[in-house]
Amino acid sequence: MALEEVYKGENVDEVVELLDKYGKDAKIIAGGTDIVIDLRNNRIDPKVLIDISSIEELKGIKDKGEYIEIGAGVSFTQVVENPLFERNLYGLNKACHMVGSPQIRNKGTLGGNIANGSPAADSIPPLICLNSTLILKSVRGRREISIEDYYKDENEKIRPDELLVSIGFKKPKENQVLSFAKLGLRKALAISRLSIAILVELDEEGKIINIEVASGSLGKYPMRELELEQFLLGKKLEDSTVDEGVLVLQRAMEKRLAGRSTFPYKRVAVDRMFREALEEAMKYLDEVRL
Amino acid sequence: MKKRGRGIGVSFYGTGYGNGFPDVSKAKVVLHDEGKVGIYVGGTEVGQGAKTALLQIGAETLSISLEQILFISEDTSLMPDSGTAAASRQTYNTGNAVKKACENFKDRLIDIAKEELELNSTHGLKVEKGEIYLEFFPDKRISFKELVDKYGDGTIQGEGEFIAQTVEMDPETGQGAPYWPYTFNACGVELEVDTLTGQVEILDAVFAQDAGKAINPHLVEGQMDGGFAMALGYALFEDLKLDKGRIKSNKFSRYLIPTAMDMIDVKNIIVEDPESTAPYGAKGIGEPVMIPIAPAILNAIYDATGVRIKELPVTPEKLRKALDEANGGGGSD
Repeated sequence: MALEEVYKGENVDEVVELLDKYGKDAKIIAGGTDIVIDLRNNRIDPKVLIDISSIEELKGIKDKGEYIEIGAGVSFTQVVENPLFERNLYGLNKACHMVGSPQIRNKGTLGGNIANGSPAADSIPPLICLNSTLILKSVRGRREISIEDYYKDENEKIRPDELLVSIGFKKPKENQVLSFAKLGLRKALAISRLSIAILVELDEEGKIINIEVASGSLGKYPMRELELEQFLLGKKLEDSTVDEGVLVLQRAMEKRLAGRSTFPYKRVAVDRMFREALEEAMKYLDEVRL
Repeated sequence: MKKRGRGIGVSFYGTGYGNGFPDVSKAKVVLHDEGKVGIYVGGTEVGQGAKTALLQIGAETLSISLEQILFISEDTSLMPDSGTAAASRQTYNTGNAVKKACENFKDRLIDIAKEELELNSTHGLKVEKGEIYLEFFPDKRISFKELVDKYGDGTIQGEGEFIAQTVEMDPETGQGAPYWPYTFNACGVELEVDTLTGQVEILDAVFAQDAGKAINPHLVEGQMDGGFAMALGYALFEDLKLDKGRIKSNKFSRYLIPTAMDMIDVKNIIVEDPESTAPYGAKGIGEPVMIPIAPAILNAIYDATGVRIKELPVTPEKLRKALDEANGGGGSD
């Protein structure tokens, strides 16, 4: 198949009509930081490209009180520069800040990071911790799927006639915090070797009453680390708990990754990333408690 | 656990082709209209600063300002050969050729000036700021412009050639003097090893180089910084991943070179011990920078962890494995 047509979409309605018409033959292009490379390397072969980079309604970050809705066309730079993601949502800011380089962060979009489906996508583990919802539109109407299901459930994908328009999540409470740690092999332009995001809430005694842990590059797709969450829930974050938590995480990884050449390294390195994410979370919570 | 260590590395590096191989640089100097002086030299600028350094050597020898020189290079139809921009040889080898060509050009100007000024001899004639004059009776003077107006553009010339002196090593005994001169370098680094991720973070670095004479100190520092970044990649990042003769790191997302974020601010020290055979004492300084940096990094890793790494690059994965093996396999710290 050769590329026959490139449409520059002016609004969502126009794009969903084009998707309805072309379906699988069409590819959406926003920042182009992944798709242009895929096109060049002939990894994808669409008949039609639909450029959504000029659609303003996809480019907003909306503070809806209890909720935040991020347009699919919002760039990583926009997230990094938005004060909404400074305090207890800093984990999402940090993840977006660790994407590629300034040029890539200026062009690349959160929606693209999701739609491309890479297991190493930096922004996904924090969004999973937030129980984010993907909001899709098509000529048939609006549909929502949870970001966690989107990755783990074969039947919960973005359908060929659907456009990812935004990502929504409930704001964490003041005493909850989202943190993130990524292992890249250099300080910029580094593909994630592994990443950990944590959303945590402690009670007055310091016991964990809410915890979500999500990992990147520790499996076929970014995912919740349920065994670690179960282990940590109700416990105080003492050194021995953290040490044991690392073992729980390593055992869970082993089930998925044993036999892979990268596993022995990731098994040890995950220790540092988990501790780093936890330490950043505790730093915030300590400040809030004072 | 994060462990800190310090290490140093030292090196001396012979510049030029060496080992008795013919190493020839040539240059030509020509008087042009308006009294401008053309320096013609084959030395190629590849970002190392050859054009700047050779121009400075010419201006110094001719005692004229940079603005009065037309520096013309990299066109084989216009100039003699001055060898490759390789082996850190342009400043020393071609610099010598430029200096000689300028000196011969000055001698030629003085000969002509003697005739033009109707003098008995060339003694006491000086060339300075675009004029030739008699030092003890400065009224006797003639400018480059007056000379070119009379003799015509391109007619007054000087040439220079420099052939480096090296001795082939005895194939039986390995004895000989394969290079001259040598550039001396020392590097010290302080770093931190993350024993869990195997990552090495350079915290501090200092680099000293005996450049003979720094023709352009900023360029020397630029070569030190650039060489450090290259050596950092060589020591810690750049992994071809050869697999049965095939390069698996066949793209820059896999073949990692340090970014500006990975580079640190190196404290550079220029040592000047002029080399007697060199133009104004200046030696080649480009490649030598790279040599002692990886040893300094490896020594610092040893200082931090007690583990000797013998294969480059020291990627996080490789260092993790070596730490494990040193601990009898298994453990994290």
